[in-house]
Amino acid sequence: MSAAAPLLSVNGLTKHFPLKGGFFGRSTGTVRAVDGISFDVAEGETLGIVGESGCGKSTTARLLVDLIRPDGGEIMLSARRLGVDLPLRDLRRNVQMVFQDSYASLNPRLTMEEAIAFGPTVNGVSTAEATRLAHELLFKVGLEPKRFAGRYPHELSGGQRQRVNIARALAFKPKIVILDEAVSALDKSVEAQVLNLLGDLKRELGLTYIFISHDLNVVRYMSDRVMVMYLGEIAEIGPVDAIYERPSHPYTRALLAAMPSMDPDHLTREAPLAGDPPNPINPPSGCRFHTRCRHAATVCISTPPGLYTLPGERHLVNCHLAIPNSGHPGIEAVTA
Amino acid sequence: MTTPLVEIENLTVRFSGARDVYAVNGVNLTLNPGETLSILGESGSGKSVTLKTLLRILPENRTTIGGAIRVQGTDVLALSGKALADHRGGVVSMIFQDPMLALDPVYTIGEQIAETVMRHEGASAAEGKARALEMLTRVRIPSPERRLKAYPHEMSGGMRQRAMIALALACKPKLLLADEPTTALDATVQIQILLLLRELQREFGMGMIFVTHDVGVAVEISDRVAVMYAGQLVETGSIRDIIRDPQHPYTRGLLAANLHGAVKGARLDAIPGAPPALHAAPNACSFAERCAHAQDRCRAELPPRVTLGERREVRCILPEMAKA
Amino acid sequence: MSATAATFERLATVERSPGYWSGVIRRLRRDPVAMVALAIIIGLVLMALFSPWIAPADPYRSSMLRRLRPIGTPGFPLGTDELGRDMLSRLIYGARLSLLMGVTPVFIAFFVGSFLGITAGYVGGKVNTVVMRTVDVFFAFPSVLLAIALSGALGAGIFNGLLSLSIVFIPPIARIAESVTTAVRKIDYVEAARASGASSMTIIRVHVLGNVLGPIFVYATGLISVSLILASGLSFLGLGVKPPEPEWGLMLNTLRNAIYVQPWVAALPGLMIFITSISFNLLSDGLRSAMDIKA
Repeated sequence: MSAAAPLLSVNGLTKHFPLKGGFFGRSTGTVRAVDGISFDVAEGETLGIVGESGCGKSTTARLLVDLIRPDGGEIMLSARRLGVDLPLRDLRRNVQMVFQDSYASLNPRLTMEEAIAFGPTVNGVSTAEATRLAHELLFKVGLEPKRFAGRYPHELSGGQRQRVNIARALAFKPKIVILDEAVSALDKSVEAQVLNLLGDLKRELGLTYIFISHDLNVVRYMSDRVMVMYLGEIAEIGPVDAIYERPSHPYTRALLAAMPSMDPDHLTREAPLAGDPPNPINPPSGCRFHTRCRHAATVCISTPPGLYTLPGERHLVNCHLAIPNSGHPGIEAVTA
Repeated sequence: MTTPLVEIENLTVRFSGARDVYAVNGVNLTLNPGETLSILGESGSGKSVTLKTLLRILPENRTTIGGAIRVQGTDVLALSGKALADHRGGVVSMIFQDPMLALDPVYTIGEQIAETVMRHEGASAAEGKARALEMLTRVRIPSPERRLKAYPHEMSGGMRQRAMIALALACKPKLLLADEPTTALDATVQIQILLLLRELQREFGMGMIFVTHDVGVAVEISDRVAVMYAGQLVETGSIRDIIRDPQHPYTRGLLAANLHGAVKGARLDAIPGAPPALHAAPNACSFAERCAHAQDRCRAELPPRVTLGERREVRCILPEMAKA
Repeated sequence: MSATAATFERLATVERSPGYWSGVIRRLRRDPVAMVALAIIIGLVLMALFSPWIAPADPYRSSMLRRLRPIGTPGFPLGTDELGRDMLSRLIYGARLSLLMGVTPVFIAFFVGSFLGITAGYVGGKVNTVVMRTVDVFFAFPSVLLAIALSGALGAGIFNGLLSLSIVFIPPIARIAESVTTAVRKIDYVEAARASGASSMTIIRVHVLGNVLGPIFVYATGLISVSLILASGLSFLGLGVKPPEPEWGLMLNTLRNAIYVQPWVAALPGLMIFITSISFNLLSDGLRSAMDIKA
């Protein structure tokens, strides 16, 4: 690892939602949405996060911008710890987020320039200055200020609205932009335009992205490193080529195998997994994936494997099969 | 030569309202028995509307439908009353993106399937129940006896999708219409449902029209593909033709936008602009304003329908020029 | 064009869409039913404001000699009441108290109820529970009964009538305000505003109020007709306005004995209440559809 501290460092981040029900909203269970995850993001890189519904990828995003309070763990930005020597204000200024639903993300009563200028004005910038900044940002995201600054959200297309949302996130001159399924709701042809824009902005402004998506093709195109999540935990994290070419976790392999084929002569023969992803309420013991894993052994049911660093690269896997002497009977078979 | 299961001739659909919407503008399509066709397109392309016209489930009072649709030789647009009821669910059946809209929340899965069978085939209650069990088994729902008594909300997303497919296939339709049935599902569940539909389509020997925006899904499921843009079919052909030799610039852009095999960090060859608002019937190529190859002719007249082979057609001047 | 040239163009050259409210007014003007209702309401308000100039006679001057004249009597176009007072003048003057009793309680309740509901909806948690459960207690009583009970306890009179009606309308408005606010609070643009570090007060002012006050206002205008009828009912029972003040509900009460003698005259105050309340309801309906941004 390089000596420089990572831009963002997350350690043991945890969020459990109590499940209310019954009389007087008594707690009837716990959704372990995010369960003690740790990862780093280096300056200038793009970390892709993939996983199915309930894996905790959106909760992770919201924890990183403090839209919800974590139950445990620490967030560090440039070696400063949130709540200790990093005020919340500084975190929010440096970490901004773009949401999936471009329409719901914009107040229907505000014009585009008002929407973008809102953030700077509440942080002490004058209205005139904020409006000027809004116009500059509209231009930067490819929307002519003259035509779009005075418009309302319902007058714009989905792609245009998402450009405005990106402009709003950039108004703080953040270091990190979290894109939570930000292109997923767009039509494919429009999505490609927005991805190009994101690439341009990253190069121009030296941004760092956390790119959350369920689309593995898009994540592969965008990311330097990829984190695969399953039921609130990290299944595997590593460089994008390692994840896609040499996936080590059976779940990552299943996700990749579940991608529709692009070759009409080599169609998918068999679904890699059966059934739906289990509920993050009361997740399985041991390795959380053992209920769907074809390699599951006794050790998987009893003991959580924990992230293991594979030799040679920053590639971590949460699977007994990858850990020497884990007690999994299949290790020889796999390594052989 | 086989008689087609579905013949669509010059179909037009217009919605009237504060501003008229020309949703479908002259679609020609045939589907042979036992064949699967994907209609590939983005939102607003008219792919769903075309599908709903086949089942006649568009709001009658503000929809104007032109052209002809024949399913097994029957004129679908002329059907009414009992004949229409027999057509829906009996000859043609449909599955949706959200099974909660297709399944009735107050009846169990078993009751709903049995009721459909009794209504369409005049079967007894016992026969209906037997068929319900058979159908749940055929869609590979584990412990089907128990699931007969389950309500839709008690099932997981993938299970509900299977239950909806069981309901749609209960009367052994000749044609199954699928409106993005896997779009809302997780990746690992989507592939299960796609494989299931592929198997069932063969088992039942039915024709299937599958609407999707996802090229990969179309590849997995279909024999043929029709690419739709602004209410028109811009390109039709076998799945191999479309994937390996796309002719229409829009098809090419759509395939590139799937990012399969895209080089990381390289600029994407994105189609600029956005689809047109369909407030008037097209009198030129609808794609011209986004097209890198557009010429004056594209903006002046409707593009020609160029036939490149058996059941392979492109609405563009490029292949015509290449042929000449 | 360079970035600076484009960005530093004068703000005046920016093409601006008409604002939200001008759109609402434009759509409302295309709705003939709502426009007729609005015209009637404006007419009623003008009638109330200028009653001394409009009314042909003194609404209080009675005469035992010309009691209960029919409609069309020379000098008394709408007849006279049981004390020989001019019905037309009394109906014109009646608009003052009746509109006051109909509109004021809803107006007061709109502010108090919105404040309670928006606070409960935005803050959530325990505050929400306390406010909304209290509101629910009031919901246990039918509004008519509640108005009568409160007025009865406070004693008759215009002020007490207004007060009790205001209290009656706070719970329904608070409940609507709470549900609309709770819905808005969960929308992404509020989340985005929180992520920008804005204070709760700023978020409520910029992002919540603009999106919730409209629906609450529409609901409140619908309540004006209820308030009118309740106010008339209170007066009818002798709990609101006291004789000899002209007020439509009270007039309906005092004329009820004359229903066999002059049924048409006796029905006139009821007709006024009906026209006023239906006009407010139709205007409220028109506003509701005009405010639907997707329409």
